[in-house]
Amino acid sequence: MAGIELLSDQGFRVDGRKANELRRIQCRLGVFTQADGSAYIEQGNTKILAAVYGPHEIRGSRSKALHDKVLVNCQYSMATFSTGERKRRPRGDRKSKEMTMHLQQTFDAAILTSLYPRSQIDIFVEVLQSDGGNYCASVNAATLALIDAGIPLKDYVCACSASFVNDKPIMDISYLEESSGGAELIVATLPKSEQIVFLEMNSRLHEDNLSHVLDMAVKGCKDIHDVLDQAVREHVGEVAAISGLE
Amino acid sequence: MAADVKTAQPLQYYRKFIEKDVRPDERTLEEFRPTVLNIGCVTTAEGSALVKLGNTTVMCGIKAEIASPKTEEPKKGYIVPNVELGPLCSILFRPGPPGDQAQRLSQFTNDVITHSCCINKEDLCIVPGKYVWVLYCDMVCLNYDGNISDACVLALLAALKNTSLPKVVWDEDTETIETDHNTTTQLNIICEPVSSTFSIFDNEVLLVDPTVEEESLSTGEVTIVTIDDKICMIRKPGGSPLTPQQLDLCINRSFIRSQEVIRLIQETLNSVDR
Repeated sequence: MAGIELLSDQGFRVDGRKANELRRIQCRLGVFTQADGSAYIEQGNTKILAAVYGPHEIRGSRSKALHDKVLVNCQYSMATFSTGERKRRPRGDRKSKEMTMHLQQTFDAAILTSLYPRSQIDIFVEVLQSDGGNYCASVNAATLALIDAGIPLKDYVCACSASFVNDKPIMDISYLEESSGGAELIVATLPKSEQIVFLEMNSRLHEDNLSHVLDMAVKGCKDIHDVLDQAVREHVGEVAAISGLE
Repeated sequence: MAADVKTAQPLQYYRKFIEKDVRPDERTLEEFRPTVLNIGCVTTAEGSALVKLGNTTVMCGIKAEIASPKTEEPKKGYIVPNVELGPLCSILFRPGPPGDQAQRLSQFTNDVITHSCCINKEDLCIVPGKYVWVLYCDMVCLNYDGNISDACVLALLAALKNTSLPKVVWDEDTETIETDHNTTTQLNIICEPVSSTFSIFDNEVLLVDPTVEEESLSTGEVTIVTIDDKICMIRKPGGSPLTPQQLDLCINRSFIRSQEVIRLIQETLNSVDR
């Protein structure tokens, strides 16, 4: 491989992580007052904010209303200063549109949509700083925001990426590892039932290795689930303590 | 009970409080909400700042690019401010192209930069007539709870103070420019414009730093931009008329605010190790 060595002989990656190590995750629920639910997540240097409004009545064209389930409306937007080179348009470009659709499809599968027919749930995701794994961090942030909004979900949706370097799978890849041209596998799961709701793989990867990389990504999802679950429990504890005093 | 009155008769609810010289959020009439500042929080940007004015939250990120100058001003760079009020920050805003308020705010921040002359645009020159810096100042509102203009101006000023540009050298032989990302120079800020907004309640009472509820009930608005102990701009877009005495009160309050804000920026800059 030309350029940088992504995985050293000692088994360390460029940022000093082991192959099966996540980046540091910091998250907070209920960061904002205007939204019904909001969350902020930091996965390494990727910083993402998610806000959820709803369920409320359909905005805009009424023809979009679904008679048997809720309409999940997403918007993925990247701040113009979030990337190394300035982004011309925060949203509306092809990549953002694709990301919006992916988020929509992912959460359509995880929200108990039949509970709110003829209504709408808005999920807005804003990327403040991007360092790889934008989809994964967006999904994790949106899950937390949905939990904060009290919207019934089948399970947490946790997303994690993985790649394959030097015959070894690596977990939760950063921008540097993403752009090195190797395989990139992104998966979103419902960790308790171990169901995969979203999977995408780019670049070439030998069939024999796919299961290893997938296992690594699914394990990453489980690790993320533990972190998110911890954060939710702490948040609920705090909220309960405050409302208990009043 | 109080909540019912607030929803059904918001004006009466507010009047009851204002009779006693206090606001529902326990502030006095001339008190700003607690202001929190975080500088240098986005590392992908050349300069950044996050401002919280009570619940109103604005993040400003500055990206620098190289462009060619106008022929009539070969030594001057550009500063392009842009305010984004997305659907994320409040239920009031819909997805789609920027609304009137966002565009008005972009224009307002642009006016603040031009009229205060806080940056000498010739400092942004790399090679006269060929290359200059463009500073894109993007302000993203993350939570909208009133008085967005003060929050934007503060975020912009703090982010500009945090901005450092890489060194660019003009190579005579190859006629190209070379960027050295390891040596950066701090942007020179000449003065510090600070904005203070007052909303007019019931045609006579002045409320400093209005929340979104107070803005919706107000009958007018005044924004004063000050630089140290001088006035830079006054904006009073229609609404109920004010007496000169009332305007004096506003101006005096905004001078005090200006000192508070500059002290806050200084303290934050000192606490952030660079």
